[in-house]
Amino acid sequence: MLAAKTKSLTLNSIRDLRAIVGHENLICDDNELLVYECDAYTLEKRLPGVVVLPQTTDQVVAVVKLCAKNQLPIIPRGAGTSLSGTVLAVDGGVMIALTRMTKILEVDYRNRRALVEAGCVNAWVTNAVKARGLLFAPDPSSQLACTIGGNVGTNSGGPHTLKYGVTTNHILGLEMVLPDGELLWLGVRPDGGEDVDGYDLRGAVIGSEGMFGIVTRVLLRLIRAPQAFKTMLCIFESVEDASQTVSDIIAAGIVPGALEMMDQLITQAVEAAYHFGFPLDAGAVLIVELDGLAAGLDRQVERVIALCNQNRTRGVRVAKNDQERADLWKCRKRAFGAIGRLSPNFLTQDGVVPRSKLPEIMQFIRACSEKYGLRIPNVFHAGDGNIHPLILYDEREPDQIRRALAAGHDILMKCIELGGSVTGEHGIGTEKIDFMEKQFTKDDLDAMRALRGVFDPEGRCNPHKMFPGSKRCADFAPRKQIAA
Amino acid sequence: MTHHPLTVQELTETLIDASARGEKGLVFKLDSLNRVLEHNPADMTVTVETGITLAALQERLAQSAQWLPIDPTPLLASTISDILNLNSSGPHRFGYGTIREHLLGLTVVLADGRLIHNGGKVVKNVAGYDLCKLFVGSRNSLGVMVEATFKVRPLPEAQQIVSASFDSLSRSALVLEAIHASELTPVVLDLHNPDRGPLPDGGRSDDYWVVLGFEGAREDVAWQLNKAAELGLTTATTLDYEAAFWTKLEASPVHCLSTLPSRMTEALEGLGASEFVARAGNGVIYYRGGKAAAAPEWPKTLTTRVKEAYDSRNVFPALLNAE
Repeated sequence: MLAAKTKSLTLNSIRDLRAIVGHENLICDDNELLVYECDAYTLEKRLPGVVVLPQTTDQVVAVVKLCAKNQLPIIPRGAGTSLSGTVLAVDGGVMIALTRMTKILEVDYRNRRALVEAGCVNAWVTNAVKARGLLFAPDPSSQLACTIGGNVGTNSGGPHTLKYGVTTNHILGLEMVLPDGELLWLGVRPDGGEDVDGYDLRGAVIGSEGMFGIVTRVLLRLIRAPQAFKTMLCIFESVEDASQTVSDIIAAGIVPGALEMMDQLITQAVEAAYHFGFPLDAGAVLIVELDGLAAGLDRQVERVIALCNQNRTRGVRVAKNDQERADLWKCRKRAFGAIGRLSPNFLTQDGVVPRSKLPEIMQFIRACSEKYGLRIPNVFHAGDGNIHPLILYDEREPDQIRRALAAGHDILMKCIELGGSVTGEHGIGTEKIDFMEKQFTKDDLDAMRALRGVFDPEGRCNPHKMFPGSKRCADFAPRKQIAA
Repeated sequence: MTHHPLTVQELTETLIDASARGEKGLVFKLDSLNRVLEHNPADMTVTVETGITLAALQERLAQSAQWLPIDPTPLLASTISDILNLNSSGPHRFGYGTIREHLLGLTVVLADGRLIHNGGKVVKNVAGYDLCKLFVGSRNSLGVMVEATFKVRPLPEAQQIVSASFDSLSRSALVLEAIHASELTPVVLDLHNPDRGPLPDGGRSDDYWVVLGFEGAREDVAWQLNKAAELGLTTATTLDYEAAFWTKLEASPVHCLSTLPSRMTEALEGLGASEFVARAGNGVIYYRGGKAAAAPEWPKTLTTRVKEAYDSRNVFPALLNAE
């Protein structure tokens, strides 16, 4: 097993790092470092020793080589929107933030590819190419902030993965700095054909949570934007009816572009925040988006409406124009942001169950909410069976933290029991380390560790993540309480 | 040496014994491990033993109006095991990609006999590293993939294939560019040039066929057929040319060239091939005669380390000369 053999940061190292990236691209003041003490998973926090913000691949190589020489841990970071503590500096070290390498370097419209720097924000890509009828398919809800490099790290999803697949299906190649400083290109080259000889190392890197090296450039596959959309808001009396409709749509052989559910609590919060016109008394709403050529869509809309009726829908509203469609998606993608109206803190999980088990897991979540006395609104990728229960708590109440963690734990264990996974798109990070042994055997985990050894034999890149036995932040007590 | 185990246990025992004897380059054919283990149509996923043929799997899925949207020719790889090892693909690659894009989970017997799982049975899953990608296309060099889970798709309501022939590459190239610029969303976009042998006057026939396949709702396919007809593609056809190309086993060996789709015509002009089938939408050309294919290239250090990490004693074949 790999144990990181690292040393701590010295003033000399900081001086050398500053010489590489420049004074203005290095942060070592404790107050300024606070921004980097955690990602969107806020239950564990730790300051990195120093943050460098390189502006070129050459600078990244130089920084990584210096860290290799001095045996310093390196932690790659994008926008820090990860929800699982993936970029937590558990052991301090040198955080390499890619947020000053943000350029779209080249768009090849004819071959539908874009070459971008790793710090490029996800939404910028589609914004840059949509006038020419193209888009980058992965669209996580954080897409206005999250970076392409971060998407590669966690193999991000989003509402439209149902039809179009996740990040790994849309990354052709990438430039990467290995932890020893070697610069490599993996996968399809910007001017090369899409068949690549040898092992699919690009595929192996995607979803490795920044533990294999620093990704600096990414070659994206762009797809043709659909000719037409039909975006529907379907209103139901109960979560059960809405869940059944999801199963029925999939079973009918319809593949919507997206199929999302919001339950009553979240719908109310979203309505209060964004005033879209959601009904406040509905048990659940579904957002069903059909896309493709205009010719076939109307009949598909009718089929979806018929399935909604079969499950006692209260009504279906089809977005009349692009503006209404955009408004609806804004509400969905900013749903997490509306939670502030309900609770000072929330813990979200992103377990997955087989689609047919959706009614069962939703019932279980409700039972958990009652058992632990915490409200749990749900807004999630129903078509994929990818749940997002938002467990509401107040961090000023230690007992609420304990109960929130326990509820999250129970829900994820249920996902495993139902044949699913503990994470569909957020990643393991530090947060879900304990579940790896529940979902995988020791041999399974050893086979993964073997791959880590290929890229990072010293275990120095983003250490203490993913694998059981990793070091935890010393002040993180609540988890120990549940384990007890 | 090739083995045909009847069970995973037998496979594991053979592997451990052979490995103890220091045998190298073992290959397992899994024809006997060919069951569908789990297919819940409502989940749109299927788990199989990889010795099953693609044809048998498609037949089973069709009973629920579903399919695994890949179509590599059975002449090269007929079982899921072979297809996974070669990441082989067929004409539908343009619409759906290769088997890599549909694989959700794997069970693999490693060189030392350990049985490992990676991925899972649900359509989204980022728990742990994605070893599935490493094993797909690994040409039997890292382990034996014995079970696999895929996401499947509904069978399309309608499908049509149309084509047109052109007497020069440059003319076919113009049509390919027009298709690319149009609103068409084909799932097959091929260009092929069958070798019809020498003509009576001693020259060669030059006919270049552009092939388009459409799938989807009836109205959708009908609309696309109209658009295709405006571009001159009107001849209803089949994908039989693909099998015909690969069937000529006695003919000279097939080479493969992968290039940018925009550079495909230029590449074809420089190849001097006697016949070819090209995935025009992907820029992948399979051809006979003409220039030999370039030797494969990959990052040496990492590739060596991968092999050492999973098969340090070379129980399985090396990546390069593996079948």
